[in-house]
Amino acid sequence: MIEANHIIKEVTTSEGVLRILDDINLTVIDGEALAIIGPSGSGKSTLLGILAGLDTPSAGVVRVNGEDITAMTEEGRAAMRARYVGFVFQSFHLLPSLTALENVSLPLELRGDSSATEIAHSYLDRVGLTARLSHYPRQLSGGEQQRVALARAFASRPRILFADEPTGNLDTVTGKTINDLLFQLNREEGTTLVLVTHEATLASRCHRRVTLKGGLLVENDTVLSGTAE
Amino acid sequence: MMAWKLLWRSWRGGQLALIFWSLVMAVVVVTAVALLADRVEKALVKESSHLLAADAQVRTSRAIPDNWLQRADDERLETVQMALFASMVYSGDNNHLAAVKAVQSGYPLRGLLTLAERPFVTTPEFFESVNHGPPAGEVWVDSRLLPILKMELGDSLEVGEVTLRVTKVIVEEPDRGGSFSLFGARVLMNWQDLNASGVIQPGSRVDYRLLLAGEDSDLANYLAWLEPQLNSHDRLLSPDEAQAGIADTLIQGRRFLILAGSLGVVLAGIALALASRHYAVGQTAAVALLKSWGLSARRVRSLYWQQTFWLALAGSLLGLAIGWLVHESLVFLVRELLPVNLPQAGWRPWLVGLATGMLCLVGFALPALWHLPSLSPLAVLRQDVPVHPVSAMKRLVIGLLVILLMLLWYSQSVALTLAILAGLVVTSLAVMGPGWLLLNLARRLGSRAGSVWRLALANLWRRRGQTLVLLTGFAGAMAILMTLVMVRTTLMEQWRWQLAEDAPNHFLVNVAPHELDGVERLLADNQLSSVGWYAMVRGRITLIDGQPPSDELVEQNNALRRELNLSWSDQLPEGNRVEEGQWWEGLTNFAERHGENVAPVSIEEDLASEIGVTLGSRLTFSVGGLTFDAVITSIRSLNWDTMTPNFYVLFPKGYLEKYPRIFMTSLYLPPEQKPFVNTLLSQYPTVLVIELDMVIERIRSMVTQVTHGLELMTLLILGCGVLVMLAAVKLSMAERLQESAILRTLGSTARRILTVQSVEFGALGALAGLLAAVGAELALFLLQRRMFEAPFGLHVELWLWGPLTGALVIGALGVLYTRKAVRRPPLQVLGNLDI
Repeated sequence: MIEANHIIKEVTTSEGVLRILDDINLTVIDGEALAIIGPSGSGKSTLLGILAGLDTPSAGVVRVNGEDITAMTEEGRAAMRARYVGFVFQSFHLLPSLTALENVSLPLELRGDSSATEIAHSYLDRVGLTARLSHYPRQLSGGEQQRVALARAFASRPRILFADEPTGNLDTVTGKTINDLLFQLNREEGTTLVLVTHEATLASRCHRRVTLKGGLLVENDTVLSGTAE
Repeated sequence: MMAWKLLWRSWRGGQLALIFWSLVMAVVVVTAVALLADRVEKALVKESSHLLAADAQVRTSRAIPDNWLQRADDERLETVQMALFASMVYSGDNNHLAAVKAVQSGYPLRGLLTLAERPFVTTPEFFESVNHGPPAGEVWVDSRLLPILKMELGDSLEVGEVTLRVTKVIVEEPDRGGSFSLFGARVLMNWQDLNASGVIQPGSRVDYRLLLAGEDSDLANYLAWLEPQLNSHDRLLSPDEAQAGIADTLIQGRRFLILAGSLGVVLAGIALALASRHYAVGQTAAVALLKSWGLSARRVRSLYWQQTFWLALAGSLLGLAIGWLVHESLVFLVRELLPVNLPQAGWRPWLVGLATGMLCLVGFALPALWHLPSLSPLAVLRQDVPVHPVSAMKRLVIGLLVILLMLLWYSQSVALTLAILAGLVVTSLAVMGPGWLLLNLARRLGSRAGSVWRLALANLWRRRGQTLVLLTGFAGAMAILMTLVMVRTTLMEQWRWQLAEDAPNHFLVNVAPHELDGVERLLADNQLSSVGWYAMVRGRITLIDGQPPSDELVEQNNALRRELNLSWSDQLPEGNRVEEGQWWEGLTNFAERHGENVAPVSIEEDLASEIGVTLGSRLTFSVGGLTFDAVITSIRSLNWDTMTPNFYVLFPKGYLEKYPRIFMTSLYLPPEQKPFVNTLLSQYPTVLVIELDMVIERIRSMVTQVTHGLELMTLLILGCGVLVMLAAVKLSMAERLQESAILRTLGSTARRILTVQSVEFGALGALAGLLAAVGAELALFLLQRRMFEAPFGLHVELWLWGPLTGALVIGALGVLYTRKAVRRPPLQVLGNLDI
């Protein structure tokens, strides 16, 4: 479970202090799929970064599974991320010198998993890339790259998955395929999903969505049907 | 293990190639230089031992004391005693004042004696090399003794009271070296026959020598014990001293190798720093990703450090191997010129190479990568997360410190290190300030030119920070290359000039006046010509300003103890320069001021300062028991490299002609006419022929060796320079790719973009070349003044070739690189800048 209480994020610019997030309160329960939506510059990605422990708020408290990550050092937050968290990014963030299989197995290898390759293999099977294991990112299409990224994110069996505009760089058809895959894996793995998007259709597939506007949480509602597929 | 895996994957991805090869190049350059220098030095020491026929030699005018021998025995040293003296030798009715050398049978302790069983043979197939002296009852002699005494091999020779059989002729003695005696032919006899001969009587002038050989440490112990017991008449000769002249030439060559090696490292270091910076930029996303997965900063640091360490180790080991190959191929190329088989190198060159690799890592690669572990993981979400690399200034200081450390270590010379560093700093300064002005000027001029020029020059100006850095890199690299090429050619020109192809290679000494016509005719019959005959009168300086020189002065100066060769000439001989006073024609009223019987005299500057005389000093000379006075009217410097006869003391014509004199000359004898020496000696056995061709051949072979070394080094340096350019271009490539893609999206043709890029790179290259010429000229000024002691002149070719080559090479490189960008679809470039 993620609990965010009175989150404020301010940055200092040449024109003075700019408040990006203003008193955000939010709870995400285990297994829930939450969509954070809002226009560009509304603070969606900033909020995602703070909830994932990639960034710290100027004020307020974030608890992940009961642990106050805002009170932790960067090393503590790193350990928390290693235990609980996985990511999917808009720009995929695949390492160009690694094959698809190696991109997926790397996080597992780094945590000392002796069967990293086998696990990576099976996840690439699940995203339909069995024939592309030894391909490098530059040899894959955008959709295939994002599928590798999905396999990488789920292979680590995270309890919470943060996804930042996962289909933002893809065309509509490919985007839909990726979304289907994302929600399918999310359901099968029982992962908590926090998703940043400005696509209404994607947001509508989550259990709940919150809307940010100018750093404020203006809507916090539950999607009626088809929740998290 | 994980680090190895990551390293292998990064390597496979091609991100590390430039870093790796820069490091390899640094190690190759240094290892090759260090191995070569080490082996040549060892060979030199070994050869010097041959010149002494021992590892060390003590010369004394008294018999070698027993306790010296006893102590040498205690220190487990091998010893041989020798006695050198002049003595009349007889064969039938004929006699000759021979240069006798009596040796114990162990002679020579180092090197070999070359003998022959026929006189005057020149072909090696008749030679025989031995490591012992003649047995008791036998003597070995110079070929020329046989015609002098009208005898043949196998005949008897009387030395004092003993009669010895002449069994072999001497072709070469290892320790005959450069001192040529005007005494007669060599007679080498056994020490055991010395007493029986009775030639050494109390008061006889004998030069005793003790030859020593053994382990370095034993020898050092012994010499430390011996030295305090030596008096001013004794002299200790170590291999270094034995070969001081040639050593000077070699030191110059070695200095150049060190210079070339150091510059190679500096260039490779710059390339390494740029490549590492480029790699670090490319790793930003990867590190953020690793950290988003929960890797701690410490773990990230450990992973990157391990990778760089293993990379540096692999690069260094490969560099050592290639460095060994480079030096081996060099040795192979010049194997016939090497006087002896080169000894194997010690461990030091390997250590120097390995340490260079590791120091390059610390000085150039690590500072660029240092900030990576502290990158924020937030960079996975946002492009604008600030990155705080180690500041350029700090990286520069660290790099310079490491360069300083390495230069000092290699050269062991503060002056040389400072000269190279000054060149670097001056070049940087000469780039940053004027570079800014030139860029500004170019932009203003460009704004009036066509659109291609305007765009290209505006690009340079807009990115002026980056342009100045690139300019410094390019200009620096080019300045170093220019400096190197100029120093190499200047150095070689000096050497070539010193050793002209037809420089005289034989001296004919001791030609009596009545033989002069005959010898001259013989030369003419063989189509040979001498540099002209110089008369010599043997005389001694007995008084200086009316006073006998002090015992101390006599003790210190050989010139006051022995007879000097006095000569006369109306013209100032070639290679002589009057440093003080006037040559004869400038003297007025000399006879009126000093009297009819006083001669003007010109004296060599070193001799003048050694015996403490100046212009106007009055010297009294004794020639064959007659004395006369002379006043110093000029002090000359001599150029000993011309291989023509030089005299310390010169008079005008008309003063020495009445004394008994002999003649000398030097001449060039082509190799195919070498047998002429035998013809000459068999007709005029008392003429002494000094075969300088042997000496010249050795010097020339050394010069050739060094030249080959320089050529190879220059190639390596060029390789390092290219690496710098590649790294620098690569560093700015991401931005260039993006711009080109945007321009093409906006409808610009590929050809037009290529033209803009080539003009931009070409202009950058031309500016860099121009600034490099300034830097190189300054560095040359310092180097020539401080290292090569050569006069300075402006190098016009630098100012022409610098900008032209810069524009062509960098322009071509730019086009070569940007062609890739133009060919790639704009969307692909804009979508994936992770290059």
